[in-house]
Amino acid sequence: MPFLQYLRLADTMARMALRADAARYFLGYIWWVLEPLLWVGVFYLVFVVLLDSREPNFMIFLATGKLAFVWFSKTVSQAGNSIVNGKGLVGKISVPMTLFPMSVVQESLYRQIAVFIMLTALLVNDGYTITPTWWYLAPLIAVYYVLIVACSFIGACLVCIARDFAQLISLGVMFLLFMSGIFWDVRTLGDPEKTQLVLNLNPLCFILDAFRQIMMFNTPPDMVHLAAIGAGFGLLLLVMVVLMRVGAQYLALKALTA
Amino acid sequence: MSDDNKPAVLPGDENAAAPSDEVVVAEPVDALDRLAMLELDNVSLSYHAKKKSFDHGTHHVLNQVSLQLYEGETLGIIGRNGVGKTTLLRLMAGILAPTLGKVHIHPGKSASLLTLGLGFKADLSGRDNALLAAMLQGSTRKQAKSFLPSIQEFSELGDSFYEPVKDYSSGMRARLAFTTALMTHVDILLVDEILSVGDAHFREKAETAMKSRITGGQTVVFVSHMAEQVKKLCDRVVWLDQGKVVSIGPAAEVVDAYTQHVKDARIAAREKNVVATS
Repeated sequence: MPFLQYLRLADTMARMALRADAARYFLGYIWWVLEPLLWVGVFYLVFVVLLDSREPNFMIFLATGKLAFVWFSKTVSQAGNSIVNGKGLVGKISVPMTLFPMSVVQESLYRQIAVFIMLTALLVNDGYTITPTWWYLAPLIAVYYVLIVACSFIGACLVCIARDFAQLISLGVMFLLFMSGIFWDVRTLGDPEKTQLVLNLNPLCFILDAFRQIMMFNTPPDMVHLAAIGAGFGLLLLVMVVLMRVGAQYLALKALTA
Repeated sequence: MSDDNKPAVLPGDENAAAPSDEVVVAEPVDALDRLAMLELDNVSLSYHAKKKSFDHGTHHVLNQVSLQLYEGETLGIIGRNGVGKTTLLRLMAGILAPTLGKVHIHPGKSASLLTLGLGFKADLSGRDNALLAAMLQGSTRKQAKSFLPSIQEFSELGDSFYEPVKDYSSGMRARLAFTTALMTHVDILLVDEILSVGDAHFREKAETAMKSRITGGQTVVFVSHMAEQVKKLCDRVVWLDQGKVVSIGPAAEVVDAYTQHVKDARIAAREKNVVATS
């Protein structure tokens, strides 16, 4: 299948899934905005009203981290089951196995656009301004996207090989929620060396911090570090594409028989 | 491709242990000088089941199956449920790989499985489902869109074409599914139980449509429970039992032998029952 046709197909599958999803709920597409809004509402209730947080912008800090993280967490957890859930199709047509996680990736990409727009509105509403530094969001989002696609492909294969991985993925995503500096600031760990260590070891932590640096503090991210993450996950993605092509029939057998 | 002039396939040579007194060995003469589009060479498929209920947890689906498919012919596959018919089609379509043996497909030819309902999404309209299914079968978005009017017409769905599939009756679903599947254009069409759809009127229409594909020179592998239909549509037939080829040969002979076998088995079962209860 030509690459362009592949992308078209993944995209159509994603749009159809979104359309079906919207048709299922009374509020339809409104959920796209409502869900992140509810998150922010809870943050406001807990950190501003109940805990009376000392830091004035803590709620924005939290919302930026969490709403950027949601893209990763939702995509990877959903993509993990994509081949297994697509079992009905797997047994009938011979399409690239990557199509299944890829359509999930596209689906959540569309949802995330709404989330980012909401986040921007929230920031502007709170007195932050959109500056030229925001252009750095383009490479940042591109690298983040590559990371998400690579992780989604890996997850989909693992769950296909053994269903148990689905449990590990949902646990892993939860662990990453706590380890990636969403509720705490990686820059206030006290020891700069420790900060650097965490940023080096956890690419997700670096990316979430970069979102805050750009959107809240008008500071460009470390582009070399960002490029390194992009190259690393780009390579991983390439390896996964090759593996999933070579092992397509093995994955199909696994999906159909387990 | 290897041997175009290979003699008739003998069912499983050394392993003809299946119900076997009625082995039919014959190949229509005209098949011999035709191009072999697809060839299964001693193909076996087994996998490890999670539960250790089979041969040490290994489930044997197909066991040393060999057969050739010639250009332009319609090959039927018959056998009871669970004897490996669908798996055989999946091997031919390249969806699965054999554990042992080889599947040769003539270079440059493609085989595609024609099955009902490519994962219909009940919340979407018939149109959206048809579009998606056509794209999944390899059409571009543009081509898929151009198919839509003829799909709407052939399936006789009328304005319901734009309604969600969840509001369809099972007959309407079957009509949509068959029509969408019919749009596939490939060198080898692998058809899995799709002509038993809808009401009598639509079934006849479906059969006619399939027949015109067959007479139009399309190479077809056709799986069905319906012995009469297989006899009507196919040139040659393969009878599978427990993952092995029992016999392969002209449609009428093999189908008759198969129906006789099914009848005998039923009588035997009834007699056993009578003995057991008396």
